[in-house]
Amino acid sequence: MRSLLHALILGLLGAGIVHIAVLFLVPEFSERDAWSRLAMASDLYKMTRLDAEAGGAPVVKSVDPMFYAAACRFDLADGLVRIRAPGDVPFWSASVYDRSGHNIYSFNDHNANSEKLDAVVLTPAQMIDVRRDLPEELQGAIFVEAPIEEGIVVVRAFVPDDSWKPIVSRFLEQSACELQDY
Amino acid sequence: MLRNASLTLLSLAIAIGLGGGSVWYALNAQDGVGAIRIGQWTAFPEIGTQAADPYSKARVAREGVLALGQAEGLSFVAERDESGAPLKRQCAYTIVGGYPTARFWTLYAADQSLGVIDTGKARQAALQSYEVLRQPDNSVVISVGDRPAPGNWLLTNGFGKMYFVLTFYDTPIASSTGLSDVTLPRILKAGCHA
Repeated sequence: MRSLLHALILGLLGAGIVHIAVLFLVPEFSERDAWSRLAMASDLYKMTRLDAEAGGAPVVKSVDPMFYAAACRFDLADGLVRIRAPGDVPFWSASVYDRSGHNIYSFNDHNANSEKLDAVVLTPAQMIDVRRDLPEELQGAIFVEAPIEEGIVVVRAFVPDDSWKPIVSRFLEQSACELQDY
Repeated sequence: MLRNASLTLLSLAIAIGLGGGSVWYALNAQDGVGAIRIGQWTAFPEIGTQAADPYSKARVAREGVLALGQAEGLSFVAERDESGAPLKRQCAYTIVGGYPTARFWTLYAADQSLGVIDTGKARQAALQSYEVLRQPDNSVVISVGDRPAPGNWLLTNGFGKMYFVLTFYDTPIASSTGLSDVTLPRILKAGCHA
């Protein structure tokens, strides 16, 4: 009887250890995280629609039905990445995520210098380089310093009603995500 | 010898079964660690940030969520009405009350996966603040159900569990200090189909 109790207590103790171990291993080994899903849908530096409107099931879950969104994956080891989109939508916002889907930085159209979305994501080391000699065409851009290599940029745009759908779709189609020389 | 082996096996079974099962349960519960409850509404202000707890991080990885950033907005999810009964797609509800400061908000009816429910009609099961009619005191009354209603009508139909997702965009409440004295609308049951 004593040994059965012993085994039970040991089991419970083990359950605690397994619980913690599994919990911390889930993010490491998940094949269903946003990065993996996007990787299946498209290449690096390619804006991909996240909502179901573009055809097929939504790539990433829980996008507001009144929003259209597009995302692109980047790798800062290759260089700076610049995200651009023309203005003219009621509301847009952009977020930079790291490889495991943590939100590093976000901003919206009211934070931007102009209505247009123009942002550059770069590492602190690249920031030092760019500051030394800021290229003319990057003058108006928002600089997002992110201590990461691989990451995801998501642009979201509000669709107040059906009449805005083509305009917001065009906004996202014209958005670009490209490696920037400096 | 056999006794020892079976006891060891029992300990291992308990450890792995209970340990793994409890993680699975914790990740599926809507009401997890780090939740902020306001009335019937639950939000996870820190989900998807580096400061999030391990449970939120695991949930983000497992479900492939790209959570809204602080400058974007904050989402609240409700799974029960004011009497504590789970929300059902076959029931009609009234959502009454004021909303905190935000540039705009959206409200939609969601299924288990928190995606918008498929109404099978041109009208989405979603509303936004620019299109709602307001009461003289700036509060909003929204009728939820499959019968058209005057005023603000959120179309829902079908059977099964339902959630309401209320998202505020460009709002000061997304920073944690803003959440202390926020009130959110109440969810009242108006009746059910048998």
